[in-house]
Amino acid sequence: MTTQTEAVPGRTTQAPSTTEIWLRRARALAPLWTLLALGLFFSLASDTFLRPINLNNILVQVSTLALLGTGLTFVLLTGEIDLSIAAMVTFVGVVAAHLFANLEIPEPWPTLIALGAATLLGLVNGIATTKFRIPSFMATLAMSLIASGLAIWISQGRIIFEISEVSRFFGSGRVGDTGIRVLTVVAASALLVAFLVLRYTRFGRYVYMTGANKSAARLAGVNTDNITIAALVICGFTAGLAGLVNVGRLGSAQPQVINSFLIDAIGAVVLGGTALTGGRGGIIQTVFGLLIYGTLRNGLDNIPQIDPFAKEFITGVVLLFALVVNVVFSGRSSRDRT
Amino acid sequence: MTPTPVLELKNISKRFGGLQALKNVTFDLYPGETHALVGENGAGKSTLMRILSGVYSDYEGEYILDGEPTLLRSPADAQARGIGMIHQELSVLPELSVAENVFLGRQPLTPWGSIDWSKMYRIADEELGHLGFEINVKRPLEDYSLGIQQVVEVLRVILSGARVLIMDEPTSALSPAEVERLIELISTLRQQQRSIIYISHFLEEVMRVADRITVLRDGQKVDTLKQEDTSVDHLISLILGREVNATLPSATEHEDKQTLLEVRDLCSDAFNHIDLVVGAGEVLGLYGAVGAGHFDVARALFGMYRVDGGVIILDGHEFPQRFSASYAIKRGVAYATESRRKSLMLEEANYRNITLPHLGRIARIVPNRKREVDIAEPAMQMVNVQPPDPHNAVGKLSGGNQQKVAIARWITFPPKLFVVSEPTRGMDVGAKNEVLGILRNFRNDGFGVLVVSSEPETVLAVADRIIIMSRGQIVSELENQGNLDKDALMRLL
Ligand SMILES: Nc1ncnc2c1ncn2[C@@H]1O[C@H](COP(=O)(O)OP(=O)(O)OP(=O)(O)O)[C@@H](O)[C@H]1O
Ligand SMILES: [Mg+2]
Repeated sequence: MTTQTEAVPGRTTQAPSTTEIWLRRARALAPLWTLLALGLFFSLASDTFLRPINLNNILVQVSTLALLGTGLTFVLLTGEIDLSIAAMVTFVGVVAAHLFANLEIPEPWPTLIALGAATLLGLVNGIATTKFRIPSFMATLAMSLIASGLAIWISQGRIIFEISEVSRFFGSGRVGDTGIRVLTVVAASALLVAFLVLRYTRFGRYVYMTGANKSAARLAGVNTDNITIAALVICGFTAGLAGLVNVGRLGSAQPQVINSFLIDAIGAVVLGGTALTGGRGGIIQTVFGLLIYGTLRNGLDNIPQIDPFAKEFITGVVLLFALVVNVVFSGRSSRDRT
Repeated sequence: MTPTPVLELKNISKRFGGLQALKNVTFDLYPGETHALVGENGAGKSTLMRILSGVYSDYEGEYILDGEPTLLRSPADAQARGIGMIHQELSVLPELSVAENVFLGRQPLTPWGSIDWSKMYRIADEELGHLGFEINVKRPLEDYSLGIQQVVEVLRVILSGARVLIMDEPTSALSPAEVERLIELISTLRQQQRSIIYISHFLEEVMRVADRITVLRDGQKVDTLKQEDTSVDHLISLILGREVNATLPSATEHEDKQTLLEVRDLCSDAFNHIDLVVGAGEVLGLYGAVGAGHFDVARALFGMYRVDGGVIILDGHEFPQRFSASYAIKRGVAYATESRRKSLMLEEANYRNITLPHLGRIARIVPNRKREVDIAEPAMQMVNVQPPDPHNAVGKLSGGNQQKVAIARWITFPPKLFVVSEPTRGMDVGAKNEVLGILRNFRNDGFGVLVVSSEPETVLAVADRIIIMSRGQIVSELENQGNLDKDALMRLL
């Protein structure tokens, strides 16, 4: 930079150069670059990847994850975590199917009761974390056992093969004659609502502030306990939705917990750029995280040369790599060194 | 023969995005010298020191250490070269014990390589004793006041063997007695030929400790003066670049002072049997040394400190035994803490920090950004936040300007009672006056103000009445009609 000549002594305010601005913008979009890079790679490596039917497949595959990620975004933004979501998915599926198939209660009651139960478990998570000050990591870990334990107990460890029309509609129904699946629409709506809430509402602001600096939020009169509880309740509810959708997709209710749901959901949300420490990130980031995840999983399936037993390993490596790229690119690691 | 300087900075310039924070600043430091750095909030003092201590390495100009051009890449690098920094905002680890904080990163080891706890406790205990602090070094640091935490930080840097000690507003949180001890300590360090850079807004203090004084204004050096060639008034005019108008708006007389706040027999673990009354149109000063419990009384009035008993009545309305901060806000209480870090969202924009306590009033569900900015802007102007951009993140402001934002948030919807702890901590001479003037105007408009402070000057400047607390008890109550001075207050502690 050249020194400036100036008539009046004092502070010069100089606009940052255009390259600087572009560099900053480019960095902020790191997840987008990751997504495009992966997309480009898979479309070159596989001729099936870019087909519309496959792109729709990606959306279907990430829909369940998107529902989990929606609620989880709220929780991570407040600086907490919810490890019980995978167990909730199983629990909700079993409850809905059990009420419908074994107790022969007509719809919509099984669906509503199952959703309500998941929301209630979210409330328990919230109360344990705030009122009893159990770290959410531990409280939701215990809840994960409770939910999966209930699922096994209720189902007596057996798969329930009979599911209701409502569940089937959620999981495999289509919107009119289009190829778009109902579950994609459900997931997209959940993301949209969450986006609006977090971005524009007072509650959304409180969620961010609670995670960014809890004591500051309290000093400004924010009831941070209630905000944390609300976030965990929302997460319970969306995990419940994910459970319904999942049963519909599989066509049966399985009592085993699919652990990859938990890892994938946290992975996707964090990959998008929502901080585990709270206060930073949001739904847009989560959407990118989900798409990256979906592209990665689906893309690997579309390259026939890859050993199917190596897929998990490759996914892990790429996930770690993508995380590193995101952190380095957005300059988070080097900015503040105090 | 003049000795070579320990370090020299030549034509240092530093930009933050579009803001020129430093411009062609030259600075030097000799062995055994105490060199003070003064200037308005945002003048660039902390930025210059961050360059000195390796926090920022992207600047223009030359850094000469022991006669050699140097580029320090990190604070660790600086520490290895004997430059230690005490930051404006403490960087202690409150959960660790006092002794662990003293030896952070350099714990003494036994011959087997494990941490030598007994040695660590013994040395920490001795060294703190030398400074005149008798505290239990095994207890977690968070059990102690901010003042003690600061002392521990100072001690840590001293013990790390620093030849050059940078103190960025080290006394802003200390009680007068602690300040005296720090000044004594500085003269000991000077005898050991250590060099000290001392940043402070307390100019009397600066005149006492400094050999030379450099004045910064708007990122540029105004002058470097020998202590004997200058005076407090001269410094003030150099700092501000204009004559200072040090008078507050005069206090108007209120006919009949209605009782606004009444506190009866408030008790907790930190204070006992607190009785006090604040009238409408009155400023009550609550003065005490750091650790006297007066800051906790302030918190209790805002529902942020649990009390065991007692009554709080505001405007004829009795508060429940337990209440939340939002309840207090609704009833018309505002509270600004003594700690910026605790009360501000550093990564968020100014306007969001200012409107946060009032969001419920601004909108039930969706706050309108334009409306928020419209509310925040005049408040920022009233306390003169620099730079005045409401979209700027608070963390990018200088320390004193952050404090102004913490005050500004309560001006937007005036409360009935403004409880404010250390309102002027870290502010420059001009800003101090502005903020005290705002409190005075509040009072003149018929609101009640409770100023809680460990700085006698602050309390004496604005309070109509002063209550003095010591060890959690009220020890005396005085009318302040210009007949009191600093010594009178401190004697009563
Ligand atoms: N990280 C940053 N990003 C952008 N601007 C910054 C940053 N740090 C400081 N500034 C700006 O640089 C200027 C100088 O700030 P600095 O903290 O050095 O002031 P100071 O003299 O220490 O003031 P104070 O007495 O209030 O602590 C201010 O205008 C501040 O807003
Ligand atoms: Mg500073």
